[in-house]
Amino acid sequence: MGLLTNLVDHLKAIGTGLKYLIPRRLTLMYPEYVEKLPEGYRGYLRYDNEKCIHCSLCARICPANAIKMYRGGDKKLRPGINYTRCIFCGFCADICPTGALEYTTIQDIAYEKLEDQVYPPEKFAKGVPQPVYPEKPIFIIAKVDEERGLKYDRV
Amino acid sequence: MSEEGYMLLQIGPQHPGSGHMRMLVKLDGDVIVDFIPDVGYVHRTVEKIAETKLYIQNIPLLEKPILNDSGNANLAYIIAVEKLLDVEPPPRAQYLRTIMAELSRIASHLYGIGILSILIGSSTGFMWAFGDREIFIHLMQMMSGARITYSYMVPGGVRRDLPDQFREEFRKAARYMRRRYKDYEKIIIKNPVTRARLEGVGVLSREKAIEWGTVGPNLRASGVAYDVRKVEPYAAYEDIDFEIAVREEGDCYARLLVRFQEIMESLKIIEQALEKIPNGKILAEKYEKMIQPRAKKLVEGTGRIKFPAIYVNLKPPKGEVFSRVESGKGEITVYLVSNGSPKPYRLRFVTPSFRNLLTFKNLIPGHRLADFPAIYGSLDYFPPGADR
Repeated sequence: MGLLTNLVDHLKAIGTGLKYLIPRRLTLMYPEYVEKLPEGYRGYLRYDNEKCIHCSLCARICPANAIKMYRGGDKKLRPGINYTRCIFCGFCADICPTGALEYTTIQDIAYEKLEDQVYPPEKFAKGVPQPVYPEKPIFIIAKVDEERGLKYDRV
Repeated sequence: MSEEGYMLLQIGPQHPGSGHMRMLVKLDGDVIVDFIPDVGYVHRTVEKIAETKLYIQNIPLLEKPILNDSGNANLAYIIAVEKLLDVEPPPRAQYLRTIMAELSRIASHLYGIGILSILIGSSTGFMWAFGDREIFIHLMQMMSGARITYSYMVPGGVRRDLPDQFREEFRKAARYMRRRYKDYEKIIIKNPVTRARLEGVGVLSREKAIEWGTVGPNLRASGVAYDVRKVEPYAAYEDIDFEIAVREEGDCYARLLVRFQEIMESLKIIEQALEKIPNGKILAEKYEKMIQPRAKKLVEGTGRIKFPAIYVNLKPPKGEVFSRVESGKGEITVYLVSNGSPKPYRLRFVTPSFRNLLTFKNLIPGHRLADFPAIYGSLDYFPPGADR
């Protein structure tokens, strides 16, 4: 390991750095740009009141005790979810025998109050909360790219 | 540690620079004479919580301590549960597990390399490694539907089949990583600054590594070709041809090189697995036939499975089992005791960082304080994993 090899290695390192001087951003400027997640992503859950057969399997499998069964006016059990506890493992949707619970690709929801994150069956059945962006975002899809690692295509 | 003439220095417990732990260093000038890693700041009683949960509910729980290598943590537990239940997953599921475990290993190594780089002051290495880790997270998200907490494996198989675009995406990622490795070589590996900081520092001899029970890449960097994937093949490793990355030097630099070599080896393993993967079911016959036909119809063509209702009531017969896998940081062992109830009677979960703690403690004394971050980073010690 002479001085010369050291110098060459230093220059090689600097040269490699220079190669990447032109910014090729791997990160995403959220919320101006929002990633559209692929089908099958385990995000917020959709609950369909009509399909539910009141079997309680979702509440029994939930590892975080986020889902709780509520007894409604018709004496039937229906699930409600507490998103402060949910870990988005998707077990509930996978064990649901009728597809009453399904995962959606929505994941970026902000709440003002903790209590807002508790969804009793009636609120849960009303639909999935929608994210709010300051202005209309540009939706993109992430893909692996040989040159840059990840690239983002507009939808 | 309060004798005259020595200085007691506390590193941490604030997160930057020390991780989730406190390190007490006794200094004579700038030479470390004694070192006590004060662990336990992120102890979360994982083993005790596991006794209060159903077998299936422990899957996400055991991923959490080893969050940057959750694919392998998941696999270790599932192998133990399957031994108790006496279920054999179908071959396709075994291959899918192998792919998941290797992707997870690559992500874990890139994480470790990034942390080592930032600890020796190379921000570039940190940004590069964490940026490239994102690609493998993207691939694992394609497979499992989550970025970090995959919960991909379940007793008897896996939750999802390979998505259609996965092969193409992985081929691109492998090409990118191989090309990128040449740049890594120039900017980090052969960079004279890195070499000056790491070469000959923190030398762990072969004898000491064995005596202190070192595991994983740290052991292999000291010349011991020990890898659970070879010693006791699990998943589909038996059918796959790969080499164990070994180096003789045992210093911080060797540990860095072993990690890079293993990333390259993992790419080869995944390529082979994608080539050899057989067609067929992804869930064991035993559970497959318990799924209700109408539930099966719902996921037809999506490559996903529905859980059979038995999953909330898995009652393995009485018994004790032991399983181990080679994770990115080293060997994960799970010891599971069942008393016939739906919850484990006892779960012992030994993580690689916990086992490397002794090495960490014994390796530091005798070095200069300036070498401390280099040794700490090179061991890829992960406090949440060690504390559990």
